[in-house]
This record gives sequence, structure tokens and C-alpha cells, in this order.
Amino acid sequence: MRRVVLWTVVVLTALVLQSTVFAQISLGGTKPDLVYLVTIVLAFLEGPSSGAVAGFAGGMVEDFLLNLPKGITALTLTLVGYTVGTIRQFVVSPSPLLPVVVVGTATTAGILFNQIVAFLLGQLHVGAGEVVRVALLTGLYNSVLTPILFPVIRRVAETSRAKKVFRW
Amino acid sequence: MALYSRPRTTRLLVVSLVMLSLLTITVDYRGGQTGPLETIGKGALSVVGALQGAVSRVSRPIGNFFTGLAHVGSLRAENDRLKQELRQVQVHAKEVTTLTRQVAELEKLLKLEHRLSLRRTVTATVIGASVSNFEWTVNLDKGSADRIKVDMPVISGDGLVGHVVTVAPHVSVVQLIIDPDSAVAGRLSSSGETGLVIGQRNHPLTMDLVNPDANVAANETVVTAGYQSGLYPPDIAIGFVSHIYTRPGSLTKTIELTPAVDFSALEVVAVILRS
Repeated sequence: MRRVVLWTVVVLTALVLQSTVFAQISLGGTKPDLVYLVTIVLAFLEGPSSGAVAGFAGGMVEDFLLNLPKGITALTLTLVGYTVGTIRQFVVSPSPLLPVVVVGTATTAGILFNQIVAFLLGQLHVGAGEVVRVALLTGLYNSVLTPILFPVIRRVAETSRAKKVFRW
Repeated sequence: MALYSRPRTTRLLVVSLVMLSLLTITVDYRGGQTGPLETIGKGALSVVGALQGAVSRVSRPIGNFFTGLAHVGSLRAENDRLKQELRQVQVHAKEVTTLTRQVAELEKLLKLEHRLSLRRTVTATVIGASVSNFEWTVNLDKGSADRIKVDMPVISGDGLVGHVVTVAPHVSVVQLIIDPDSAVAGRLSSSGETGLVIGQRNHPLTMDLVNPDANVAANETVVTAGYQSGLYPPDIAIGFVSHIYTRPGSLTKTIELTPAVDFSALEVVAVILRS
């Protein structure tokens, strides 16, 4: 229960920040997508199932604020969370740059996937070049923010982790 | 760390979440604007809107303070200029009041339909932008509780901003005219030729389907055409002509417009109320 409340607060904070403060400080007309960032970092720390659940929930909330068919972002972030969590299990690197690279790559890939689904549903109103540009810029912006936000999210993840999760 | 988890249960979980997402997409896609999911959407909008209002109330003065610091010198000059302008406007307003009364009397005398209706508006503050990078919308701090309805036009002191697309009790979402999904019927102010003004995101607006024989002057103002059944009332400034070209093989002219409104610094807008 405590876990659900904490993550709801995190996702809401992410949504509000990206639509207010970060909408003012944009990078080439692009704002970061903090819900993607939260999902990716969480999947990175907690593994594929937590990543998928957090991605689904966060994506659903974001979907309800958009003028697109609901469920597209939920679908994207479920897959992003699962993929990042799965790949993480096979990567052993102590480099502090790893989260930065993972967040950047996964954000760009996620946004491209998201827009492909939107295109298949006939909901894409911008050109392919613009989609790629925005995806790359958002990925870049998210990875720049990772060193600041990663410790915050890790802190929340540690306090919210249920005791039972320790399985070894 | 709980990096290890049993693969089978995880896979089952992911597959069910993906199915659930696909189901939501299908239900919403088929349900359209009246689907059951719209109600939940309004709830989410209300919650996020309230938070956005609180955050922008705090963050805007801080932002303004820093921009203010950088422009202290020019602010004083601007203040003097604004005071002067205000005085002129006050004088002008008195004349307008007299004229309005005279027009009303003459209209009554000539049994004309009441045409010079002063627009009833609701003033609202912009509290946030869209959460997405692919939608150009803003959220306002007023909603259906203030008689705002979907499709009502939104203007600012400079010109046309857009129209309302979603309303919750205390929040509403406005699609800006720079959204690629937005199209407004525009009219060149000097020649009266009409065309369709389409949003191009952060680039200048384009005005398509303009008669190739039309005379277009540089910097000319384009205003809303205001067709009978259209969304927007007539004669609201949309933008200024910046570039004119004819696409090869095209039968019509295309004009590029600089928007009249600075969308990066949108703060206070007015929603035009209509039945």
C-alpha cells in the first residue's frame, strides 16, 4: 500500500514537472519525458516485473492527459520497463555512466515505438523527421537529467521496497 | 537488490499488461469522445491541473524574478511607456463608451439587428503545457464551473490562441493554433482573400489554398474569416505575412505567417463564451 502511494506521488510529480517547469526550460523546443525516466530507472533498479508494472501505471496516467487513444503510452512503457529490466540482468558494469546511457537509449527507442503505434492508429500529425528529432532530443534531455534524478528515485525505491522482495 | 525474479511469472505479468493496454486502446479508439474512459480522463485532468496550478503559482514568480533581473534597465523604460499607453487607452475607452451608446441608439432607431455585441469572455491563467512533445496544448485554470465549453475560441491581447478541446470542472485544455492538427479559416486583411491556416509546431504557420491572383503585402495581418458556422468569430488577428511562395505544380498560393501571439510566453488568455 505504502509502495503504491509512494509511486503514485513520484509519477504525479514527474507529470506535473514536465508540463510546467520543464516546459519552460526546453531543449530545442523539446521537454524531457520524466515518466519514461522514472520507469527506466525503476526497471534498472528493481528488475523486469516492477519495471513493467510501473511503466503500465505511469503510462496509463500520462495517456489520460493526452488527446490520443488511451493505452498507447501504457503499452510502450510496459515494454520499455520489461526490456530494460531484462537486459539489466545480463549487464555487469560498475560504470556510473551506465544509467545515463540506458535512460537516453531507452527513452529514444520508447518514443519512436510510441509514435509508430500512433501512426498505425492514424494519429500521427507530424513528419517522420520531426518524430526522430524529438525522440533523440528527449532521450538526450532525459539522460542529462539522470545524474540528478537517479539518486532521488533510488532513494524512493529503497524506502518503498517490501521486505519480502529479498529472495536470496 | 531484487534483480532476480522468476521468468515465467514475469512473462505472464507482461503479457497480461500488454493485453490490457491493447484492450484500452481498442475500447477508447472505438468509443471516441463519449466513451467511458473520457470520465476518468477528466478526473486525471482535474488532479494534474490542480497540481499544475499550485506549481506554476510558485515557479512563475521565481522565473519572472530571474528574467526581471536580466532586464532591469529596459523594464524601467517599458514601465514609462506602458504608463503613457495606459493614459491614451483610458482616453480612448471613454470615447468608445460614448460611441457604443450612440451606435446602440442608432441601431434602435434604424431597427437594425444588434451587431456590435461586446464579446462576453472569461479570463483564465495558463497553468501548464501538454505532457507530450507531440501535442501543442495548454491547460487553463478555469473549466466548466466557469461556463467554459468544448470548442469555445480562446484569445489573448495579441490575437488568436486556439480553441478549447477538453473541459473538467476547474481545468480546461486549449489546442493552440500552432498544433499541426489545428486549421483555422483566415482572411488577408487588405484583399479579403481567404485561406486555411495550419499549425506547423515551432515553425511559422502556413496559409494554404490562397487564390494565386491575390495581392499579398509583406507583414500584412491575417485575421480569422469567421464563417457563419465556424469555430472562431471574425477579425481576430492570427499572424503576419512573412513569406509568400507558390509550390511548383500547385494551383494555389502558400503563405507563411508569424503568429500574432508569442506562444512561449503565454500567461493570461480570454475564453470567448458562446451558447
